[in-house]
Amino acid sequence: MMGASLARLRGIPGLPVAGIFGPAATVIYLLFIGLPVLALLIRAAQHGNFLTGLVGDLALTALRLSLITSSISMGIILLVGTPFAYLLARNTSWILRIVDSLIELPIVLPPVVAGVAMLMAFGRQGVLGPVLETLGIGLPFTTGAVVFAQIFVAAPFYIRSAKLGFQSVARDYEDISQTLGISPWGTFWRLTVPLAAPSLLTGFALAWARSLSEFGATIMFAGNLMGKTQTMPLAIMTAMESSLDSALALSVLLLAGSVTILIGLGLATRPKWQNRL
Amino acid sequence: MPVSKGWLKCRVGGFSLEADWHIEEGEVLVLFGPSGAGKTTTLRAIAGLVRPEEGRVELGGRVVYDSAVHISVPVHRRQVGYLTQQYHLFPHLNVAGNIAYGLPDRRQPDARGKVERLAKMLRLEGLEDRYTWQLSGGQQQRVALARALATTPQLLLLDEPFASLDNELRRELRRELRAMLVESPIPVLLVTHDREEALALGDSVQVIDDGRIVDQGEPLQVLGQPGRGRVARLAGVENLLMMTVESRNPRDGTMICTGGGVKLEVPLDAAPSDQSDGPRQRENITVGIRSSDIILASEEPRGTSARNRLPGTVTTVDPRPPGYEVTLDCGVPLKAQVTGAAMSEMGIRPGQNIWAVFKASSCFLVQEEMPPPPAD
Repeated sequence: MMGASLARLRGIPGLPVAGIFGPAATVIYLLFIGLPVLALLIRAAQHGNFLTGLVGDLALTALRLSLITSSISMGIILLVGTPFAYLLARNTSWILRIVDSLIELPIVLPPVVAGVAMLMAFGRQGVLGPVLETLGIGLPFTTGAVVFAQIFVAAPFYIRSAKLGFQSVARDYEDISQTLGISPWGTFWRLTVPLAAPSLLTGFALAWARSLSEFGATIMFAGNLMGKTQTMPLAIMTAMESSLDSALALSVLLLAGSVTILIGLGLATRPKWQNRL
Repeated sequence: MPVSKGWLKCRVGGFSLEADWHIEEGEVLVLFGPSGAGKTTTLRAIAGLVRPEEGRVELGGRVVYDSAVHISVPVHRRQVGYLTQQYHLFPHLNVAGNIAYGLPDRRQPDARGKVERLAKMLRLEGLEDRYTWQLSGGQQQRVALARALATTPQLLLLDEPFASLDNELRRELRRELRAMLVESPIPVLLVTHDREEALALGDSVQVIDDGRIVDQGEPLQVLGQPGRGRVARLAGVENLLMMTVESRNPRDGTMICTGGGVKLEVPLDAAPSDQSDGPRQRENITVGIRSSDIILASEEPRGTSARNRLPGTVTTVDPRPPGYEVTLDCGVPLKAQVTGAAMSEMGIRPGQNIWAVFKASSCFLVQEEMPPPPAD
């Protein structure tokens, strides 16, 4: 079996990079990624108190907060990001092209810097601080700040993917749909969205995963207050200092969530008609 | 039922377009012209996908656009059927779903019946559950037509609908389209740059070039002796000769032209769109002759009314269904069309000396957009 696989590897057409270094690199890479993941599972099993760790106050509270905040974040990202992505996909004016090239800034920006930047904008000493204060809104170190941080770092993943999805739907399809008597809105829902759905789902899943794992910007801008701003990643960090059980349990939970998202993506985003646009 | 008529002026970037049309029910008007002439823009403007500068569009007695009174009905309420070259069938829906797409009550029995009827009419029965990308090109084309017909359009806009099919299939689908028009007489505006298609389908033809209608009328006439260089090349005029006007004979309505050692008698008023009294002496002109208008004779013909008789040598013989195309060297290369029977009877072969015979009226002036190079 191993021999057959190797033979197939040797059969790979291409430069020596693929034939000689490729297999070695593959093994090294898989070990590098797989070992820590495996170790996490082994340790969690050895500690055995998986359930107790999970039921603990710290873990449950963090889990609930993470689910609530990321859901709100994703709702807002969908609502604002979808029309924005559609505009980017359809309009080619120079302003939007510049905007387009800056979309991914939050992805390359270190999250801690994002947190500092948001403090500078919405913090008490921030640019909008006085305005928010007169309105009676104190944003930093609240659950709202968690949502802000998540949207800031996660939205580009959805917008980028959604834009590519909309771009893959040629305008001619939308034109034809309208000549068939379907209104522009109807066309968007019945044609554009279903045809862009694989990309929309991919973007949604990636953004959701990113918002769930958000750490740096959150701890900077929202702090680490249990029940208020302490999401799962922050709770894991905190638990490492007191209860390894809880930290391991939460980690395994997040890992399971990530794997579920990956598998779901694989299943949901490859419709039969893919590549037929 | 529907007559469709109107006129438009459009500006897209630096390109300006003027169009007007009048199509009776069940009639096909062909828009014929090179790519970039404005054919597709015309269709899109009628459908409402491009906004004209001014104009008036009437579909089946209903005004859907009128710049004078600021009427502009949105695309989805215009009731036009629009077929593109790539069909743009919806890949996430099966055949039945595509056909039913524009029906307001898709899940009602009425709609199902309609889909069934259309599938039957366009020979798509049994394919309803297939995805459209699992179909052949011809079948896809018919699905696109069925999808458009399902919404009972007042005008069918066909943008090179047969362009991506092979010749055999094209002919078949043309016949089907003709049959369909008998069954449900809708006005059709067909865009093409294929002469055979224009002749086979068109009840009338408009030649459009650079955003202007340069010629219109009965297809055989308009595309038989096209008066403009680009159109002539597009319509496949086999012989285009660069010549110089030697002498004019207004009493006979003819002139003598020379070029490449060849002397031709050509009608003076050969360009129908030309309002002047023909080209001047010494002027360089282009003369067009269809290969099907040239008769071959093995000896010098005498006692014929044909004014042009040129001796020459056969250079090549190529099959051109249903007959053959014979290329002669008469000083200038000249292409003539003969049937297989004539070929074998005369024993035409390369190297043979032969006479080309054609009437003065078979020659027509072709106006070049660029001045023709001087004939020697």
